[in-house]
Amino acid sequence: MRVVVADDAVILREGLARLLTEAGLEIAGLAGDADELVLLVERERPDVAIVDIRMPPTHTDEGLRAAKEIRARAPATGILVLSQHVRASYALELLSEGSEGVGYLLKERVSDLRELASSIERVAQGGSVLDPLVVEQLVGRSRAGDDPLEHLTAREREVLSLMAEGRSNKAIATRLFVTEHTVEKHVKSIFATLRLPLSPDDHRRVLAVVTYLDAR
Amino acid sequence: MALAALAAGVGAALLAAGRVDEPYQTADAPLALLVGWTFVASGLVAWRQRPGNRLGPVMIFTGFAWFATFLTDAHAGWPFTLGTAIQSVYLVGFVYLVLSFPTGRLRGRADMALIAGAIALVTVVEWTSLLFSESHAVLCDRCPPNVLLVERNDGLASGLLQLQRITGVALALLTVVLLVRRWRAATAAERRSVAPVLWAGSATVVVLAVSIANDVVGEPLGQLGKWALYCVFASVPIAVLVVLLQRRLARGAVAGLVVELGERADGTDLRDALARALGDPSLDVAYWFPSGDRYVDRDGQRIELPGPGTGRTATVVERDGQPIAALVHDSALAENAELVRSVCAAAALTLENERLQAALRARLAELQASRARLVEATETERRRIERDLHDGTQQRLVSLAMSLGLAESKLADDPGAAAPLVREARETLALALAELRELSQGIYPSLLTERGLGAALDDLCRRAALPATLDASLPVRLPQQVEAAAYFVTSEALANAAKHSHATEVRIRARLERGVLLVEIADDGIGGAGTGSGTGLRGLADRVEALGGRLTLSSPPGRGTTIRAEIPCA
Repeated sequence: MRVVVADDAVILREGLARLLTEAGLEIAGLAGDADELVLLVERERPDVAIVDIRMPPTHTDEGLRAAKEIRARAPATGILVLSQHVRASYALELLSEGSEGVGYLLKERVSDLRELASSIERVAQGGSVLDPLVVEQLVGRSRAGDDPLEHLTAREREVLSLMAEGRSNKAIATRLFVTEHTVEKHVKSIFATLRLPLSPDDHRRVLAVVTYLDAR
Repeated sequence: MALAALAAGVGAALLAAGRVDEPYQTADAPLALLVGWTFVASGLVAWRQRPGNRLGPVMIFTGFAWFATFLTDAHAGWPFTLGTAIQSVYLVGFVYLVLSFPTGRLRGRADMALIAGAIALVTVVEWTSLLFSESHAVLCDRCPPNVLLVERNDGLASGLLQLQRITGVALALLTVVLLVRRWRAATAAERRSVAPVLWAGSATVVVLAVSIANDVVGEPLGQLGKWALYCVFASVPIAVLVVLLQRRLARGAVAGLVVELGERADGTDLRDALARALGDPSLDVAYWFPSGDRYVDRDGQRIELPGPGTGRTATVVERDGQPIAALVHDSALAENAELVRSVCAAAALTLENERLQAALRARLAELQASRARLVEATETERRRIERDLHDGTQQRLVSLAMSLGLAESKLADDPGAAAPLVREARETLALALAELRELSQGIYPSLLTERGLGAALDDLCRRAALPATLDASLPVRLPQQVEAAAYFVTSEALANAAKHSHATEVRIRARLERGVLLVEIADDGIGGAGTGSGTGLRGLADRVEALGGRLTLSSPPGRGTTIRAEIPCA
C-alpha cells in the first residue's frame, strides 16, 4: 500500500514515515503544506493521504481543504486527517462530503501502530474511520428532553459507538468477543429503536449513524 | 381679617380707655395694641407665604386672643367675666407658636404634654376658680361683678389663682428647657432657620415667668416690667417675620450664586458656592455617572445617597429629564424647598459641566482598576499554566524518560522485560498528550482561529455539561479579539450554569446587529447569580469593556440567569 504524509512539522512527518515503513507501508512522498500535498497526490496517486489538519500558511484547517481538493482531483485516494483536537464538527464536515475512504483521528493515535495501520487499511478500502473520542463526544452529548439513546441497552450503545467509529460487524464482534451474528442482531435492534433505515453497507452506515447522533 | 384685627384693636383701645381699675397709662394701651396687631399682621403674612403651615393661623389666633384680654376692662358684668375667663388663652397660642416653629407641628410627647397642661391651666383651672371668685375680693377693687360666681369662697379662689400662677411658672421654665434642648440638638442649618424665633420666644417665656413669679410673691413688676413683657412678646412675631424675610434674602443669594458661577475661575469650588447660597456648610454634591449607574463625587469616587431618617436629604438636579447631580443637604433645608429648587435651577449648567468632569474621572478610575485586574488576571493565568505544565506534563515526561531508560538497559540482556516498560511509557505519553490538549484548548481554542465564533460556540455547546442549544447568525468573521471575548464569556457562562444554576437547559444566541455583536447565554435555572469574584464574570466584563462593549447579568431568583455581551466590531 502506498501512502503520502503531509505535516508541516518535520519531526512528525519523518517520524510517521519511519513508523509506517516499519508497518510495511510504502511511503510515496512527503509534503510540508497543503499545496505541496495536492500536487504530490496528483502525481503519485497513492492509496491513502495522511494529512495534518493544521498547516501553513494560516495554520487553521488547511488539511480539511486539501482533503476536499483531493476528493475532487483524485477520488480513488483515501484521506486520513490527523488532528491535535477533538472536533466533531470537522469530522462531520469531512464525512458529509462522502464518507467513503475518509478518516478522522487524533494525532496521538500514531502511538498505537497496529491500530493506525488498521485505520489506514480501512480508509484505503473505502471505509470510514472516526476517532473514538469524537464518537464519545457525539454519543455523550447532553440533550434536553427525551433522548432516544436512552432506549438502547448498554451493549447496544457500545455497538453503536463502534459502528460510528467505522468498524465492520466482524471487527465489532472480535472486539466484543461475540459472534458476528450477535452483532447483526444488535445492529438491527439499534436501527429499529432509532428508526433509521437499515443500511447493508458497513461503510455507508457510518454517515447515517453519525449524522443521526449529531442531529438528535 | 386685617380689618377685623383693626376693629378688635380699636375695641380694645376703647375698653382700655374706659378702664376703671387702674389709672390710665399713656404708653400702656398703644403698646399693647401694637403687640396684638404685630401678631395678626405677621400671622397674615406667614399664612399667605405658607398656606399649608399652621404658624400663620396660630399667630392670628394669638393676636385675637390677646385683644380678648382687654374685655377685662369692660364695665358690664358679662363682657368682664368672659374676658377674665379667656384672659390667658393667648399664652397657649404663644407657647404653641414657639414650640412648633418652623414646621407648625409639635414634635414629641413633651411638647404635646406641655400644650395640654397649658390648655388645662387657662381653661379648667381658670373657670373653676371663677366659680368661687367674688370680683372685688379676689380680682380687683372696682371691677364689675363676676356673673359666673356660684358661691363666694375667697380662700379657695385665691388658692386656685396661686396654683395657676405657680404651675404657669413651671410650664414656662419647662418651655425654656425644651427650647434649649432643641437648640443644642439642632444642626447648623436648623439653627440658622430658627434662631431669631427661638431667642425671642425664650426671652418672652423668661420675662413671663419672672412676671408671674413676682405676682405669686405679691410684688407685681409694675409698669416697667409690663412694658418689657410687651416688647419681648411683640418681638416673637417680628422674629417670625425676620426668618421669613431671611428666606427671601436667601433667594437673593441665588442671584449671587448665578453671578458667582458666571465669574467662576477654575479655582472656585462649586460646592462651596452652593453651600453658601443654601446656608448649609455640610452640603455635598454627588454627580450622576450614567455608565456606572451610580453617583460619584468630584473625584469620581462612588457616593451613596442618604436614605430616610439619616437627617440628610438628597435633592436631584435634572436637565432635560436626566439626572445630572444630587445635592446632599441637611434635611432642615427641605423646609425651604423653593430655595433649593432655585439653587438647583441656577447651578444646573455648571453642575452638568462638573458632572462631565467627574464622570471622566470615574471612568478613568474604572479603567485603571480594570487594567490592573486584566494584568492580574494574565499573571494568574500564566501561573496556572506554569503549574499545570509542571505538575502534569513535565512529571509525566520525566517518568516517561525513566521508563524508556530502564527499557533500554533491559533490552540487551532481558528483551522480554523491556516490553511492559515500553507499554507503560506509551500509556504515560498518552496521558501527557491528553493533558497538553486540554491545556492548549484552555489557553486558546484553536477552533476559534480556524473556523470563527459560530463554529467555536457550536463546539462549546457540544461539549457542554448541560444540554445547550445554539442560535447563531454570524455570516462574517469578526475581529479576533471580539470573537475571543464572546467565546470566553459563553464558555464561562456555560461553566457557571453547569456549576451553580441547577438548570436543565441553556440557550445561546449570537448575532451581529448594526456592527455590534450580541451574545446571550440564558439558562432556566434558579437565578440569583452575582458578579462575585468566584464567577469569573468580573474579569470577562473587563475584557468586554476593554473592547468598548458591555456585559450585563440578569439573574432574578427563580427566573434563570441571562448573561448578555454587546461588543462593537468596528
